[in-house]
Amino acid sequence: MKTILPSFLDGLGRVGRAPAILAGVLLLTLLVALPPAIVVRGLVADSLGDSLAAGAAADGVSQEWWAEFSSEATGLGVSFSPQIIGFGGVLDNLSRVLDDRGYVAAITVVASGYLLLWTFLLGGILDRYARNRPTRTQAFFSACGVFFFRFLRLGVFAVVAYGVLFGPVHAWLFDLFYPWVTSDWPVERNAFFLRLALYLVFGGLLVAVNVVFDYAKIRAVVEDRRSALGALIAAVRFIRRHPGPVAGLYALNGALFLLILALYGLAAPGARGGWFVWLGFLVTELYLLARLALKLTFYASETSLFQRLLAHAEYTASPPPAWPESPAAEAIAPPSSPSGGGIES
Amino acid sequence: MRRPPALPAAPFLVAAAMLLLAPAQAQRAPAPRKAPPRAGGQAAPAPPAAVRPLPPPGVPSPAPLNRSARNANYSIDVRLDPVRHSLSGREVLTWRNVTAAATSELRFHLYYNAWRNTRSSWLREGRLSGRRRGAAAPADWGWSDVTAVRLVGAGGAPPIDLGPGRRFIAPDDGNADDRTLLAVALPRAVQPGETINVEIEWTAQVPRTFARTGRVGDSYFLAQWFPKVAVLQDEGWNAHQFHSGTEFFSDYGVYDVRMTVPRGWVLGATGLPREVRDNADATTTHRYYQEDVHDFAWTASPDYLVREERFEHPGLPPVSMRLLLQPEHAGQADRYFAATRAALRHYGTWFGPYPYGHVTIVDPAWQSGAGGMEYPTLFTGGTRWLAPRAVADPEGVTVHECGHQFWYGLVGNNEFEDAWLDEGLNTFSTGRTMAEAFDPNYAGLRFFGGFVPWVYYHLPVSRATGENGWADYRRGAELDALATPSWRYWPGAGGPLSYSKTALWLHTLERYLGWPTLQRAMATFFDRWRFRHPKPEDFFAVVNEVSGRDMTWFFDEVYRSSNSFDYAVDRLASDPATDQGFFERDGRLEHSDEAGRTDRFRTVVVVRRHGEAIFPVEVAIRFADGHVLREQWDGRDRWKQYVYERGARAVSAEVDPDRVLLLDVNFTNNSRTLEPRTAEAARKWATIWLGSLQDALLTCAFLV
Repeated sequence: MKTILPSFLDGLGRVGRAPAILAGVLLLTLLVALPPAIVVRGLVADSLGDSLAAGAAADGVSQEWWAEFSSEATGLGVSFSPQIIGFGGVLDNLSRVLDDRGYVAAITVVASGYLLLWTFLLGGILDRYARNRPTRTQAFFSACGVFFFRFLRLGVFAVVAYGVLFGPVHAWLFDLFYPWVTSDWPVERNAFFLRLALYLVFGGLLVAVNVVFDYAKIRAVVEDRRSALGALIAAVRFIRRHPGPVAGLYALNGALFLLILALYGLAAPGARGGWFVWLGFLVTELYLLARLALKLTFYASETSLFQRLLAHAEYTASPPPAWPESPAAEAIAPPSSPSGGGIES
Repeated sequence: MRRPPALPAAPFLVAAAMLLLAPAQAQRAPAPRKAPPRAGGQAAPAPPAAVRPLPPPGVPSPAPLNRSARNANYSIDVRLDPVRHSLSGREVLTWRNVTAAATSELRFHLYYNAWRNTRSSWLREGRLSGRRRGAAAPADWGWSDVTAVRLVGAGGAPPIDLGPGRRFIAPDDGNADDRTLLAVALPRAVQPGETINVEIEWTAQVPRTFARTGRVGDSYFLAQWFPKVAVLQDEGWNAHQFHSGTEFFSDYGVYDVRMTVPRGWVLGATGLPREVRDNADATTTHRYYQEDVHDFAWTASPDYLVREERFEHPGLPPVSMRLLLQPEHAGQADRYFAATRAALRHYGTWFGPYPYGHVTIVDPAWQSGAGGMEYPTLFTGGTRWLAPRAVADPEGVTVHECGHQFWYGLVGNNEFEDAWLDEGLNTFSTGRTMAEAFDPNYAGLRFFGGFVPWVYYHLPVSRATGENGWADYRRGAELDALATPSWRYWPGAGGPLSYSKTALWLHTLERYLGWPTLQRAMATFFDRWRFRHPKPEDFFAVVNEVSGRDMTWFFDEVYRSSNSFDYAVDRLASDPATDQGFFERDGRLEHSDEAGRTDRFRTVVVVRRHGEAIFPVEVAIRFADGHVLREQWDGRDRWKQYVYERGARAVSAEVDPDRVLLLDVNFTNNSRTLEPRTAEAARKWATIWLGSLQDALLTCAFLV
């Protein structure tokens, strides 16, 4: 706990001191989702036409219209189903991950683009949190550019790792092992707890892979590593040496995630019309803001933990801006050192 | 009206005395029946010491109603081997030819042979629909083997071995590999009215459930488990192979069944327990008895919890309810009883009383495959470990299966050929009961492997479209006509047609004729055909008779045709009425050009019939001044135009505004409005979808 809580709080602070990043990723998420939403709006409008059913759909839920729409939906329209309402949508999305159910092709494409954008932005985000000082827009995006291709190379390893997990590992656990064990079980409750245990196993593997790649990215940025494989190995080494703090910090962040979900579960909007639509949109965006802040806190707190546990984190004063040296260079060289020369922002 | 004259007192006093004495008569326990004689005419041996005759039922049997023909009576002894998952049995069938024609053979259903191998018709058809697969392990298959068939001689004559004269037949599809129908030649024809006794010995392998019957763990549900004689009609044997999409058909009779299971297991069965005998080999034999039923099912497990309650309602005979409950559902017993009470009360009030005095409710084990099924005086429900009470699915299943005691159990239609006659009538009745007893009822979805439920309070289940299965009907509206024998339906069409389409046209009939008329028709049909085998024409005839109207045109559309209904408002326009051109005024032809200068509006409404099926509908046109015009359209032509000139602009037009025709496959096109809220609705739902997509993106972002 000596390092976990301080790292967590420091991480929150680093996120709070860089509000532009949080606002930026919120805007990014909204802008990526907006074009498909416009398409869906058109599909819904075409389906409703000038019918009185539009009034019912505007005020509440018109189940007959929805059944007609669903029976003829293709592409993006297939994803327009009752699950999207309220907290059921969150459960559906989480269930899709754990049950490896996937999305329709259109959403998979949008999500892939979204992940690519995150991969691009992560370099600047981690650089900003690691330096723990304003880096300005130009420096931010320069860092994004510097680390994008390194993260892409890291992403190749990630694709393989997650591919193995969502492929053969998931299939073995849930399509072979689980049905084989439970085939003759007459008690549902027992099967549920077995499935829960398998979710914990699978989830644990996902988390383990995720943590490794988190610290690989952090080490790549903080130490200006160019080798993706080197960063990966270094990440494993760091985790192996500090398993307790790493796991503890991840668990603390995870607990906050569950809290956010629970709060949204209580406040999630429904399907009422009128001004409730905008209130619901506001509540949902606040929830998404909280999740994004938490995601950034994951990175910021993990960066803080890494820096806290390594020697070159032991500096007490912010060095003068000496970009583009790495944060490690900043930390090792004294602020007044002539070796810290460079372009001043 | 004049007041009627005073009635004499003496006859009333006599009648009152008789009424007071009658319950005392009814409550006297019936004399125990003798066991049927064994082969060779020997009397049954005296029962051993560990026999526990059971007390008479807590609820006295109601006064007998009209009885069935009782032409297929069974005395069965069966032993369950839970180690080998097998049954070994012996039955004596007392069968009477109730037709006008003699027969030289008997036909028996051996339903378990549907799961003997993948060459059975049942599994072949199941693969065609993509729903059925073979067994996962060798021990999971099932079959039924008749080891001996003998004609029991009368008056001590030696039995005649009928084994050489038996053969498997496949009258439906000619599949020589199908073993579900056995024909047994008789040494001589059985004449109309004649009775014979046939003794059958058989063994059966209880399958890991393919459908409805089988085992999981130590939980056994045994249906269609014994060689069952088919139905002989005047035209010949009405005996079908076992098909993937159909259920069953058999004659009424008396069942006297002795089932031997491991000691300590809880057993439930059709009928009432008569005797329990502990045997020396750590087994127990349970004897159950029931009159006037056409099937016998039973279940056994060491895990059942037993709960008992009583149904009572003014004007209806009481019914003792025995619930066999899974331990993990112990907290849901009240749901089962509430739903059973609702079914007995509403069906009894609407159609006719439930006559048996007792019913067994079985809460099936998880993965048993036995849930949601009906048998005489016993049915299976179904619930989940996590089952929110706001989602009345367990209640819906229970009401439906209890309801089958009326439609299927008491009115014994041929489920091979006319499945809709019980499933459709029952689905309609279930929807009505659910709306009366369990409203509101919300839709629920399940996540995380189907274990975790979530209630959608924004999606109340409506009777008209939800309970009746309108969405399911839409998917299969034109797959087949209901008049097609059910066993010949396109695979997967049974649900949309037998259940949903029938329920929807019955509900349409309710809205068209009125519930009092339809209720009288259904009650009359129930009363006339209780303990008998009606055909579709019998139902239609009763509807025509009771309603006083010839509804043949309606049944031609919904039963004899596979056409679908789709009425729409094709066009709605309401513009200032302008007159342009040359008009006669004061005897002269004058040009008029009054565009824009008018205080009247010309409204044009065009309604269209897109579907091939025809139904008379109303058309409602609403005007801005609040006035609503209603037109009657016979719905025959492809389109019809209405033109009005009024001082107010039209706001909307709607065909079938009261939703009388619930079979319309597209309700959205039933209306048009000149003040659409389409943009508002599209914006709202796109906004909701936007939030859901963003959440999905964030969830995926876990990977980076």
